[in-house]
Amino acid sequence: MNSSTSSSDWVFVKIFLAIVLGMGAAMGIVRVFVWLNDASAETIIGRVMEAKAALPEIVATEVPVVMVYGSSLVQAAFSPREFDQQLAELGTEVKSFNFGFGGLNPYFQDFLSRRIHEEFDAGGKRLKLAIIEFNPFQATQSRWQGALSSVDSFITMLANDQEIREISLQDPERGALLFNIKYLRNDISAEMITSFYGRPFRSPRARSQLQEDQQAEKVRDELGQLLNQQFEKDYPDYGGEEWGWGWQGGGTIPSERSAETLEIVNRFYAAGQTDYRMDNDRLFRIDCCDILEMNFEPLLVEAFIRIVHNFQQFSDQVEVILLPRNTDWIEYTPEARQRLEYTISAIEAATGVSVRNYQSIDAVNNKMFADTTHLNRYQGAVGFTGFLVDQYADDLRQH
Amino acid sequence: MLFNTPIFLLFFLVFLLFYGFVFLRQTPRLYFILVASLVFYGAWNYKFIPLLVGSSVVDYYLALAIAGAVTPQARKLLLTASVIMNLGILALFKYADFAIQSVAELMSGFGYTPDTVTLSWVLPVGISFYTFQSMSYTIDVYRGDMHARKGLVQFTTALAFFPQLVAGPILRARQILPQFHNIPIPTWANAKHGFLLIVVGWMKKTVADLLAIPAAAVFDSGASVSLLETWTGVLAFAGQIYGDFSGYSDMAIGLALLLGFKIPLNFRLPYFATSPVDFWRRWHISLSSWLRDYLYIPLGGNRNNHRLRNIFITMLLGGLWHGAAWTYVIWGAFHGFIITATHYLGGLKIFAGFSNSSSRWAKLTQWAITLYLVLLAWVFFRASSLDSALAILSDMHDLSGHVNSGPMALSIFFMTASAFLLMHLLDLFVIRRADRFEARPWLFWPLLVIGVTLCLLIGEPSNEFIYFQF
Repeated sequence: MNSSTSSSDWVFVKIFLAIVLGMGAAMGIVRVFVWLNDASAETIIGRVMEAKAALPEIVATEVPVVMVYGSSLVQAAFSPREFDQQLAELGTEVKSFNFGFGGLNPYFQDFLSRRIHEEFDAGGKRLKLAIIEFNPFQATQSRWQGALSSVDSFITMLANDQEIREISLQDPERGALLFNIKYLRNDISAEMITSFYGRPFRSPRARSQLQEDQQAEKVRDELGQLLNQQFEKDYPDYGGEEWGWGWQGGGTIPSERSAETLEIVNRFYAAGQTDYRMDNDRLFRIDCCDILEMNFEPLLVEAFIRIVHNFQQFSDQVEVILLPRNTDWIEYTPEARQRLEYTISAIEAATGVSVRNYQSIDAVNNKMFADTTHLNRYQGAVGFTGFLVDQYADDLRQH
Repeated sequence: MLFNTPIFLLFFLVFLLFYGFVFLRQTPRLYFILVASLVFYGAWNYKFIPLLVGSSVVDYYLALAIAGAVTPQARKLLLTASVIMNLGILALFKYADFAIQSVAELMSGFGYTPDTVTLSWVLPVGISFYTFQSMSYTIDVYRGDMHARKGLVQFTTALAFFPQLVAGPILRARQILPQFHNIPIPTWANAKHGFLLIVVGWMKKTVADLLAIPAAAVFDSGASVSLLETWTGVLAFAGQIYGDFSGYSDMAIGLALLLGFKIPLNFRLPYFATSPVDFWRRWHISLSSWLRDYLYIPLGGNRNNHRLRNIFITMLLGGLWHGAAWTYVIWGAFHGFIITATHYLGGLKIFAGFSNSSSRWAKLTQWAITLYLVLLAWVFFRASSLDSALAILSDMHDLSGHVNSGPMALSIFFMTASAFLLMHLLDLFVIRRADRFEARPWLFWPLLVIGVTLCLLIGEPSNEFIYFQF
């Protein structure tokens, strides 16, 4: 080796070290930044991670298991304890779980459903009944656009290494990016950071022209504080029982609460039904989710179909439902109705499951909503859960 | 494989390991660069590797044949073959559908509705860059500006050299080919400058991605926006395309420097230009000088009475080079018009004093007018259609105030203007202060790490390089 080659070697050593050490230092600062901001899968989609963590125990349940799966609408609308108690009174023993999660559109739910499938397979158990919610406004193009900055991070939080490897085989560039986010960035992508800090600079959405009822808001705040105090009274020994949300058990139920608490709850719900709050929430849903027009995103509809297929592999019975709709505030356009019908037909054709439309049922009225889309817990969820018991009690008994 | 992605970092580190420590002699290094460049290109679409290699092989042998031809007719014939092949490839892949659709639209204007069949071929990435680069070699040999050099692998490698393959700069054979006949060894000083360029380029690209948001709000939303918001969007796009393209060029030049190869600057503070002519001396320098040398001068340049016509045709075709759409043609024509107008007005006594003045106020006015005209031109470049461009141009000059700005409009305008300025300050810093900065390692390395950290913390979902589509 001559002297010029030696000096060339030395330059390449320095260049190589500069890249590795420089990138390492920069990545280290990124990790510190993420840590200082307490950003992780646990803080961003904590309840989903809790649900994932609870899966081995859920699978180990000895009695038949029912799972209601979907968006935050399911989270609000289904009470596992009500469901289990009412079925027990009918002589059927089951254990149900509320797997409704806010912030997860069908694309992300698809990954979570694969994790559930894996756990049930590993435990050699089958679901007795899977009730899967199709939430139309979670499957729109607007919803997908709004989620783009979270896609990479959520994939790394919910996918396993095998799935990321499969993505890598199809698209090595994306695969390398995902492994980078998963193992070097603690699941937090640059897009997610930018989206979080850039929020104040986004174009503001339309706000309600109606006047806020200051008095009602004040009453609501006071009642909310009272309800916190009532919880301490009604559950003095609460220590994270398995009916808590960590286990996807659905939380408290009216039959356990004192008459005083229930009276406060009723006043709390009534105070929330102001025109200003509801209209503002409607405008928010129009902005984020195109809730009235519902231009569907094919990618999300396909993901939903995959969710149903996933559940079909480890469930004795799979149902697809649409949850109650607040028709006082959310009225679809004729074109949206057509699009919804078309999409439902596509789901039915692809899965072989008839979609049950519970958007308008006698058990739930528009006053049982906490906002324009979510049912409240002690009226709406109780009513809807009772309705599900009526619908599926026979099926569960026959099994 | 974008330069600012983890997979490229991995690719480059592996490349560097073999290049620096395994292949120590000239010939293996040459072959290794070629293989790596083809892998890099194949990462987009391996099916187009034969097109890249094939066109370089044909041009290489045509150049040798031109050099060896005895009669002027034979030389001309061989050059014509090269030009037809290169422009033919471009025509087929880039312009065929545009031509078919334009003819069909023209015919439908006369009442005919022809059944059109389009090719719908995928556009090979970087095709506009490497065909121009390859073609310049045969033209240079034909003109006698350079000798046809033996060495097919050297020529193919120079054309396929991965830092500059997909988005330029468009190098002349005389700039890059000699470096592949005698592969350079990088110096530490060059490498440090390379690192600086890479980080500055990456930062500009990151800023460009952020500027894409206000730009899209004006150009893509279709919603009514105020005067201030329209100007913000147009300014944001001007910044976006500058940061995107010059950022990529800086990274390409920096990567080449890490390997010891020298590639000339492609941008020199273009928005500081004080005339449209000056703008094109600073913007995409490798393309504008290519168009000057291989189109404007053959058309007659300044020598005949058609100087203004020649400029106009050159700019028109320069616009078409960017993309197969009428908006690009109009963008080029607009620049052709403002350059010819500048030349024409500069020749009038009444304006000569102003255009030749070196006073600060005159320069400031010239700069403001130039920036205004360049921004108007970008509207055609970015708009999805001619109608949309005209609507945005109208909004830019609508003083009626019938659309109110959003509450964040002023903040977003200032942030856009700051980002716009920041990119130029970064460039100014590299041009004027790089030597002194690089001589202070205690400052140089920490600031570079901070720059990289910022790039790792900021990101937008869509970060494709705009010029890849050309």
